[in-house]
Amino acid sequence: MSILIKKITTLRNMNFVINRKYFTATLLFISCSSFAQNSFDTQFNFANTLYSDENYFDTVTELKRLLFFDDNSEYNYEANLLIGKSYKQGAKFSDAIRYLTLAEINAENIDELYETRIEIIRINILRRTTRRAFKLLDSLEADERFTDWSDKIKYWRGWAYMFADDWVQAAQTFAEIDTNHVLKRLAEEVDDDLYSVSFAKTISYIIPGAGQIYTGEYISGLLSLGWNVLWGYLTIKAFIAERIFDGIVIANFLWLRFYRGNLQNAENFAKEKNMVISNKALNYLQFGYDGLKP
Amino acid sequence: MKIVFLFFLLCITAVQNAQTGNVDFNSPDNIKKFADYLFCDKDYLRAAIEYERLADINRSDIIEFKIALSYSYINDYYSAIQKFSGIIKSSVYFNEAKLEEMKINFLNNDFAGLRSYFKNSFITEVDKYQTEGEKLFNFSYLFTDDALPSKDEFLSPFDFNEKEKISSFYDWKNEPPYKDGTLAGIMSAVIPGSGKIYVGEIGDGIVAFITTTVFAFIAYDNFKAGHTTRAWIWTSVAALFYAGNVYGSVAAAQVHNAKITFEFNEGLNVYLNKKNYYITKYEFCD
Repeated sequence: MSILIKKITTLRNMNFVINRKYFTATLLFISCSSFAQNSFDTQFNFANTLYSDENYFDTVTELKRLLFFDDNSEYNYEANLLIGKSYKQGAKFSDAIRYLTLAEINAENIDELYETRIEIIRINILRRTTRRAFKLLDSLEADERFTDWSDKIKYWRGWAYMFADDWVQAAQTFAEIDTNHVLKRLAEEVDDDLYSVSFAKTISYIIPGAGQIYTGEYISGLLSLGWNVLWGYLTIKAFIAERIFDGIVIANFLWLRFYRGNLQNAENFAKEKNMVISNKALNYLQFGYDGLKP
Repeated sequence: MKIVFLFFLLCITAVQNAQTGNVDFNSPDNIKKFADYLFCDKDYLRAAIEYERLADINRSDIIEFKIALSYSYINDYYSAIQKFSGIIKSSVYFNEAKLEEMKINFLNNDFAGLRSYFKNSFITEVDKYQTEGEKLFNFSYLFTDDALPSKDEFLSPFDFNEKEKISSFYDWKNEPPYKDGTLAGIMSAVIPGSGKIYVGEIGDGIVAFITTTVFAFIAYDNFKAGHTTRAWIWTSVAALFYAGNVYGSVAAAQVHNAKITFEFNEGLNVYLNKKNYYITKYEFCD
């Protein structure tokens, strides 16, 4: 009996020893493994800190260093994404797109894929390659995997329209998200303020100078009207007096020249004024708008 | 025994992980490796900064040369010249550095500096690339208004297959196909539009001739018909066109000259770029 008790005690002690060994081995392994992780994590965190401090040049350097030594390609998504964002902050848009594309290739889930694609779209909006932005937005919208993000996709489509100077479409797109969307109202206001280039030209065809007056250029409009009246009067007078040659020369070299100049002027003024209005709106979006921007 | 085996297995795995995961990013060897990668990735500014992080003891001739080269590639000529001129005679890349210095003088349009550098330093200090240096030296004359050397002397360093092209550059520089602005003005004063035709703007010349003649004729016709006021208006218009045409002819000659000078310089730059400024390509990234 005492032998049996002894054996049981020995077995218990052995079990304890075995458990302790297991525990020690596991502890050693965990400490080794966590130490291994730390070196890359520390580097990535360091790069993140640099990015937060708006030190984008060094962020790119440190992330490139991380990627260079990351043989296991563990950081291919995060690092490339952050490099792309850093290049974007430095207005190096082509480099940004290059690295965001690398991040897109290494995206492991639908969220990551969406984030990189939207980032690429935002850069295309920002650098006004809006045709490319529309193409990418179309492909996102057509992809069933991204149906949950349809409002967000519309939001960036609205921005693309604003940068493409199509304020009517922008207002319509924002209205699809919310009929009272702040950007919808802004786009409508801008569209109301814009001058119609074709209207300015058309009224200048009928009454020279009217297009300039419509765009608020009163002196230029009156001058244009005056010149056209003068040369028109002299042309008609010459023809009435049967001085045909004089009439043709005045009409050709003077009246038509001023008439054509009046049309070009009306068109240019309308375009220039529209550009001022659009830029004013974009300026507000850059500095006064609090929502997400490209 | 099983436990011991398991422990060792775990440790080996962990150590392996540690070897791939625990990298000293800032060890001299790793800084160099990373800088080499950046250099070959054409991220020259970062490459230069990384190379410069290396302490002097870890810097070889090739690193010093690549730092200078990196600055040169990003058009930071000031830093590049400083680095190239700091490369000592015992360096493997001393000769290349001196030729690169000449190239930078060229890119900086410092042709006077290039010539004095060639005569005072390059000829005496550099063992190799004398022909290449002389080619760049001669090329510098094509970019300035300084007197050209004789044609034979100018062409002497160039290879046989280059001579024809270089000879045409030389001839152009010697007798550029400029148009005389004064002559163009005088011609247009005598026959309206002829100055423009002389400059090569034939269409403009014919239009100027017709316009001025028509207005002058209308003025004459009105004087003849006794419409004095109208005649003076047309005379003013004709005079305005006439003066504009004379001025336009002089301006056209100046524009023509500026245009062909620009095209000539562009041609030279394209040629030199194609020849890589007579510098052999380095094989650092092969």
